[in-house]
Amino acid sequence: MEGSSSSSAIFYDFLDRMRNPASLDLVRSIKSFIVSFSFYAANPENDGKKVQEFYTTMEDAIRDHPLWAGATDQEVDCAMEGLEKYVMTKLFSRTFSSTPEDVKIDLETSQKIHLLQTFLKPEHLDIPTVLRNEASWLLAEKELQKINAFKAPREKLLCVMNCCKVINNLLLNASMSENHVLAGADDFLPVLIYANPPQLHSNLKFIQLYRRQTKLVSEAAYYLTNLVSAKTFIFELNAKSLSIDEIEFEESMQAARTTNKETEKEATPTLEGRTTSQGQTDPGPSARSHDKETSGASNYPYMDKEAGDLTIGDVERLLSVYKQVVTKYTGLCTAVKHLSLSRTEPHVTNLEARNVFLSQPEKTGKNSDQRVGQ
Amino acid sequence: MGCSASLPDRSSSGRLVGPNSENGGASDAKNLRVKLVLLGDSGVGKSCIVLRFVRGQFDPTSKVTVGASFLSQTIALQDSTTVKFEIWDTAGQERYAALAPLYYRGAAVAVIVYDITSPESFNKAQYWVKELQKHGSPDIVLALVGNKADLHEKREVPVQDGIEYAEKNGMFFIETSAKTADNINQLFEEIAKRLPRPAISSTQNP
Repeated sequence: MEGSSSSSAIFYDFLDRMRNPASLDLVRSIKSFIVSFSFYAANPENDGKKVQEFYTTMEDAIRDHPLWAGATDQEVDCAMEGLEKYVMTKLFSRTFSSTPEDVKIDLETSQKIHLLQTFLKPEHLDIPTVLRNEASWLLAEKELQKINAFKAPREKLLCVMNCCKVINNLLLNASMSENHVLAGADDFLPVLIYANPPQLHSNLKFIQLYRRQTKLVSEAAYYLTNLVSAKTFIFELNAKSLSIDEIEFEESMQAARTTNKETEKEATPTLEGRTTSQGQTDPGPSARSHDKETSGASNYPYMDKEAGDLTIGDVERLLSVYKQVVTKYTGLCTAVKHLSLSRTEPHVTNLEARNVFLSQPEKTGKNSDQRVGQ
Repeated sequence: MGCSASLPDRSSSGRLVGPNSENGGASDAKNLRVKLVLLGDSGVGKSCIVLRFVRGQFDPTSKVTVGASFLSQTIALQDSTTVKFEIWDTAGQERYAALAPLYYRGAAVAVIVYDITSPESFNKAQYWVKELQKHGSPDIVLALVGNKADLHEKREVPVQDGIEYAEKNGMFFIETSAKTADNINQLFEEIAKRLPRPAISSTQNP
């Protein structure tokens, strides 16, 4: 897997070539393709097909283009990576989680994960003790959560791969140091599921539809499939999917729902308000991540309470929230300790690259803005 | 038990292949790229078979992807064609059975593994055969593998049962031992020979 530092280089090279007057014809095609999307309502499967066809057409056009005369396959590939990133960044708000169905599935999945998080334990998925490594799991989860910081399918896919690599390393290490027999997918999938992917449906669908199909093969396809599979498992999950007593499962879910309802009442934005506003107009990624923050804060309902506001009835809930906080805090501490030992540098550059890119249109000023327009 | 590999086994007729281009879907008549999915009960040794196959042919110059659940390995056949196997492991636990279609979709080969000491795993293997016949791609190559063949004294599934079931279902059958590396390379070579070739090829297809 290529590092992310090369990714920004690739992208700059692409932008540079697009600024060359000789590429005017390519720029025109790109521009009119992007504009053509504003004429129709979102239809993910169709849109995906259109984008894939466009990639193919453009790949041929680039191969035959004087600017790429004598270019190696790899250079053409780089141009295509640049093209994918450019086009999909421009079309992001139009293509990501673009239908009410997708928004609904995301919401339902994350609500379910919320409920499950209150009681799900590794033993419910029969995850062997040697693999219960909180620090690694947090790290994997952290890699996956970066997915929402990127708009390009390739970069989103990289987050999936990085997350899977952390889990892979955990399994490989356990097989070497703990003498745990390497059990492949038998162990991989449960750990991935337990790593609690954030609301992934739209991200996975986006990658499947808009990543260049020639790149969705081999290892990348395999790990993406594992995430789709983890998401599906969680979405369909019931007591029978877990090693848990059915009554205990229902009771735990019910308890978690009650807690959630109480917290929702106290949290400012109502759930209904949020859904409808999302269904009508796309608030864009910034608004969405803001939603996430507020719903995260609503996990801790007593923040604005005085001692006098509390009743005996609150004790049980207070205790469970307290336990949650302590568990998360200890987990985080361990993870942070491990992190300082094994820092992952590339992502810093990655984020930088993203910021630079987003400010790119302003920076490059008139001449490129006129050609590769909004 | 388990798949602690001893010495690399180099006696196979499938020669090693040097680094080959990781470049996308480079599949042509001489160099096939093949998606192979592994199915079977948890604990039958699916991953061990693959690790044996990949590590047994280990060579520093060969580009092998070693992950915990995705592996790839290229073998060269006598007719100077190569086959690159991209091996998709699946979780064998019952609770994940419904997810299998996500994995076997588009697979050219399915290797269905059972444990010769466990009749339940043989039943599960038959379940997978039926499912693939119904929902797999129509020209998928199916292989039935009885693993842990080194555990003779604990055998509970007679060889004959495996042979007969495979014959009835038009599958390739072999018993292997990931532990002793018995028949591991043969399994993959035999699969390679049975793959439908895109034109030109001079392989004798069965």
